[in-house]
Amino acid sequence: MNSSNERQEISLIIVTHRDIFQWVNQIKGLKEQYQERSAVAWLSPDDMKTLNIEDGDKIKIRNALGTIVVQAKLYSSCPRGFAFMPVGHYSSRLVEYDPGKARLPGFKRIEVSAEATEEEITPIPELQ
Amino acid sequence: MSLVKLACPACGCLCDDIDVELEGNRIKRIENACAKGASIFYSGENPDRRNSCQIDGQEVPLEKAIEEAAYLLKRSSRRLIFGLDSSTLEAQAIGIELAQTLGSVLDDSSSFCQGALIEKILDGTIPSCSLPEVKDNADLLIYWGSNPSHAHPRHLSKFSYYSYTEYNELGWLPKVKLGCVEVRETEVSSLSNPFFKLKPGEDKDFIEAILTAARRSGSNPGEEADEAKAFTELVKSSHFCVIFVGLGLTYALDGDFRLFAEMVQEFNPSTRIAVIPMVGHYNMRGFNQSLYQRIGYVNKVSFAGAISYGDEYSFLEQVRNHLADCVLIVGSNPFSNLPYSIMKELQGVPVICLDPFATTTTKAAHVVIGTAISGLECDGRALRMDGEEIKLTQARVSNYPSDEEVLGRLLDRLSR
Repeated sequence: MNSSNERQEISLIIVTHRDIFQWVNQIKGLKEQYQERSAVAWLSPDDMKTLNIEDGDKIKIRNALGTIVVQAKLYSSCPRGFAFMPVGHYSSRLVEYDPGKARLPGFKRIEVSAEATEEEITPIPELQ
Repeated sequence: MSLVKLACPACGCLCDDIDVELEGNRIKRIENACAKGASIFYSGENPDRRNSCQIDGQEVPLEKAIEEAAYLLKRSSRRLIFGLDSSTLEAQAIGIELAQTLGSVLDDSSSFCQGALIEKILDGTIPSCSLPEVKDNADLLIYWGSNPSHAHPRHLSKFSYYSYTEYNELGWLPKVKLGCVEVRETEVSSLSNPFFKLKPGEDKDFIEAILTAARRSGSNPGEEADEAKAFTELVKSSHFCVIFVGLGLTYALDGDFRLFAEMVQEFNPSTRIAVIPMVGHYNMRGFNQSLYQRIGYVNKVSFAGAISYGDEYSFLEQVRNHLADCVLIVGSNPFSNLPYSIMKELQGVPVICLDPFATTTTKAAHVVIGTAISGLECDGRALRMDGEEIKLTQARVSNYPSDEEVLGRLLDRLSR
């Protein structure tokens, strides 16, 4: 995280996707490698700047359904206001299913707020 | 030392050219498998990853676990059977019979994956074709909301772009164009030309713009976005276009493929279009097709009294509304993959889970029955994503019962 103490919270829409390495590590067991591939959110340069963070810093993501701490990664062509995360234990904490809004769960549209944090990445056992 | 050729149960590609060298009963070498396939085969040999039979976390003999599962199912009045996408056709047939016998609700992952699209293919609303038909015949391949490099790693090399006869690693002049519609840059988008990059959720607007452009005469240019016009021209200039539909499109359309079907119809008959669903679980297509042939629906059914179908019988709705008093999950891991806010509603409901591997779902289950890995430890048949039947062959001796055996024993007990 940058040295500035400014704390900024932003709104994001998370879109989940598949990640083969995360999938493979889920089959192998929910160990460190699985966490490394799952506890990650890819953000736009603008949003990284607003959050005052650098590639690899941690962010706390939350909505009414849950809170997780993951690593933020820079995705240069990510549109501002969006973030990408692998489907799995982390993103599932935040996914809404409300048939009044949509027939399918909101895996491709998770509304959250995000802020920089010094807290540890949410450990997998907390998500099981 | 023996060499066997196997079909891989890691995804809906069901690649049937996996060479496995066995030394005794152990795998020594695997050829042709992708990382997903290899991880399943090799993890099968890791005792830490396999499930024993358990009741409330305590190891029990198979017979005892089956007895407990049968007891729980028998004493319940609102049973829910879920999964079977990673079971053979033979096991699925028994699973469906079990649901009928128990008057249970029956659903699989397709109700929040590709079920809606598969239904439209089965009822003829959306045209499809077999994967072997694609090779050397299709002159335009479009991946839409799908990133096969991560979900179906050998799709391009075995069935589409790189499978063409004229492809040579030293270079080629392809007679086929590769395009993709995607919301982010992926391995496939980097190979595609053109790459139609949409903002998340824009797919429906894009299809509407394509429809408008396609319906306009060529001499009367409209005001649709250039991208939609380019897509329309691309498809119209091809003879045989295959669209591989991934979950990105399915979710963007919220599972409603009517507009997409309209778009496909619009291009036919000047261009032959075939749509192939990028199916995740290796035999989801088999489940959908088996159920459809039997009762006319692909998923979300209730056998309580007359056969009923509807969203209220989806796994998610059943759990959200606390409608089930006993859940049998076969080869699926909803506690990891589905919204936690919904899955926590199952607290207090007995869950029985059949799975070869230890998962978050087996951890939450009251009864766990460790089963054989299809295509390595038990035989059977499955339907590939295009509906083609693939034979699965048992390659090594296993003490684990197959889903077919466990479900058969449950059916036997519960039919008495």
